[in-house]
Amino acid sequence: MSNNSKCNISIKNILKKVFFIDLVQGLIVTFGYTFTKTITMRYPDEETWIPYKRFRGLHTLNRNKEGKELCVGCELCAKSCPTQCITVIPMEDKTGKGIADRVAARWEINLLRCMFCGLCEDACPTDALKLGRQYELASTGMQRQLRSKEELLAPQQIPADFEGGVIVKARLERDGDGVSVKPDLSTQKRWW
Amino acid sequence: MLELYNMNPILISVLEVLLICVKVVVVSLILFMLPLPLTYMERKVAGHIQVRLGPFRTGPHGILQPFADMVKLFFKEDIIPSKADKFLFRIAPVISMVPVFAVYATVPFGESITIPYINKEITLYISDMNVGILYVLAIAGISVYGMIIGGWASNSKYPMLGGLRSSAQMISYELALSFACVGVVMMANSLSLMDIVRAQYDWHWNIIYQPVGFFIFLIAGIAEINRIPFDMPEDEGTLGAGYHAEYSAMRFAFFMLTEYVAMVTISTLGVLLFFGGWDGPSFLPGIVWFVLKVIFFIYLFMWTRFTFPRYRFDQLMTIGWKILLPVSLLNILITGLMIL
Repeated sequence: MSNNSKCNISIKNILKKVFFIDLVQGLIVTFGYTFTKTITMRYPDEETWIPYKRFRGLHTLNRNKEGKELCVGCELCAKSCPTQCITVIPMEDKTGKGIADRVAARWEINLLRCMFCGLCEDACPTDALKLGRQYELASTGMQRQLRSKEELLAPQQIPADFEGGVIVKARLERDGDGVSVKPDLSTQKRWW
Repeated sequence: MLELYNMNPILISVLEVLLICVKVVVVSLILFMLPLPLTYMERKVAGHIQVRLGPFRTGPHGILQPFADMVKLFFKEDIIPSKADKFLFRIAPVISMVPVFAVYATVPFGESITIPYINKEITLYISDMNVGILYVLAIAGISVYGMIIGGWASNSKYPMLGGLRSSAQMISYELALSFACVGVVMMANSLSLMDIVRAQYDWHWNIIYQPVGFFIFLIAGIAEINRIPFDMPEDEGTLGAGYHAEYSAMRFAFFMLTEYVAMVTISTLGVLLFFGGWDGPSFLPGIVWFVLKVIFFIYLFMWTRFTFPRYRFDQLMTIGWKILLPVSLLNILITGLMIL
C-alpha cells in the first residue's frame, strides 16, 4: 500500500518534470512581477521622502505667534552641545524683537561638527530651537556649513505641524556650491 | 524607369555583385547595432522582473544608456595580462565573433520582394545554400574556439576553467541541438532553410508536429548561447566572469557582441525551424511577423535568465547526455516512423 502511494508520487513528479510544470510556474510568477508597481523611489529628481516629526535634521529657530524671536540668548544650547559647535553671543535689546529684553546677537552653528544629537533642543527653555526635517546639506564649500541666525529663522521647507512619513513629488535644485531638494507637499503618496 | 533587362550583361552581373555586397553590409551593420537595443531591453526586463525600474537617468527612461556603455567600452584601457599568450589573447575575440556573423550568410528573412520603379526582385537572404542548416550549425560551432582560446590565453585559473567548461558544454549540447534539427529536416525533406520554411506555410508549423524537438532545441539552444540557467562558462558565482575575466574594453565588447548575436541566431533559427519563419496572418507583411517572432524568442531567453537559478555543472552534463540526447534520438526515430 505504502509502496503504491510512493509510486504515485514519483509518477506525478516525473510528469511534473516532463511538462516543465515548476519551470512554467516560475515563469508566470516573474511575468506577473513585470507589471507590478516599482518600489524604486526616484530621489531626488522626482520624489523625496518626508520624515516623521521626530526626525532630527537641520536646526531651526522659531518665533512665537506675534512673530517675536523665542530665543533669549541663554546659551544653554551652546553649553549642552557635546561637540561645541554652537556659538551664542547674547545682547540687550529694547526694540522688542524678542520675547524678552535679551536676544542673541549672534547664533551660529557649525554643521560640519554637529552630530544632530538633539541635546540643544532638549536644553532650550523657551522651545526656540528645534531640529527640523531638512537633511540635504551637501555642499562643495565650507562656508555654507556655517549657518547663521538669519538663515535659521527663515520659515522651514516642511512646516513643523506637517505629519510626515510620506513620499511627495520633489525636484533637485543646484544653487551656487550646494544642492537642495524642493518638496511639493500637496502631492502625497504612502510608501507602499 | 530603369530597364534592367535591356542592359549590357556584364553590367548586370556587376550590379548583381554590388547588390550582394550591399546586402552583406546592411546585414552586418544591423548585427553590429543589435546589442544596443538588446542590452537596453535586457536591463529593462531584468529591472521590471525584480520590481525595479532599470536604467532611468541617461536620457528619457534611460534610452541613452547603451550609447553611454558603448562610449565607455571604446575609451577604456585595453589591458593584456603580462603573462598571457599575447597572440592568442588578441585573436580569441575575433575567432569568437566572426563565425556568428558568418552564419547570417545563409539565414533568410523572408520571400523575395520587388522594389517599385525599377521592377527588380530582391531576395531577402544573402545566399540560399542547399545545405543551409548544416552550414549554420557547423559555423556557429566554431565560435566556441574563441572562448576556449580566450580562456587558455589569459593564463589565469578562472578563465581557464571557463574555457574548459565551455568546450565540454558545447560538445554535449551541439549534439542535442543538431539532432533536434534533424527532425525538422526530415519533415521538410531539405537542408535548405528556405525550403524548410516553405514546407511550413499555411500554419503547418513544425511546433505542432515536432513539439519534443522544439523543447530540445530550446534547452540546447540556451546552453549553446551560454545563458542562465546554463551559463557555466561565465558562471559569476564561482568563476568571477569565466572565460572573459581578463578581457577589458573593446576585446570584452567583442565577446559581449558575440553573445548577443548568438542569442539572435538561436532565436532566428528557432523561428525558421519551428515557428514557420515569416508565415503568419496576411494583415502584416512577412518580415514583420518574422521580426515579432524573433523578438518573442529573445524576450523568452531574457525572461528565463531572470527567473531560474544556474544549474550545477554535473547536472548540466546529466541533462545533456542522459536526457536530451536519448530523447532527441527517440524523436528522430518516431518522426521517421510517422513519415513512413
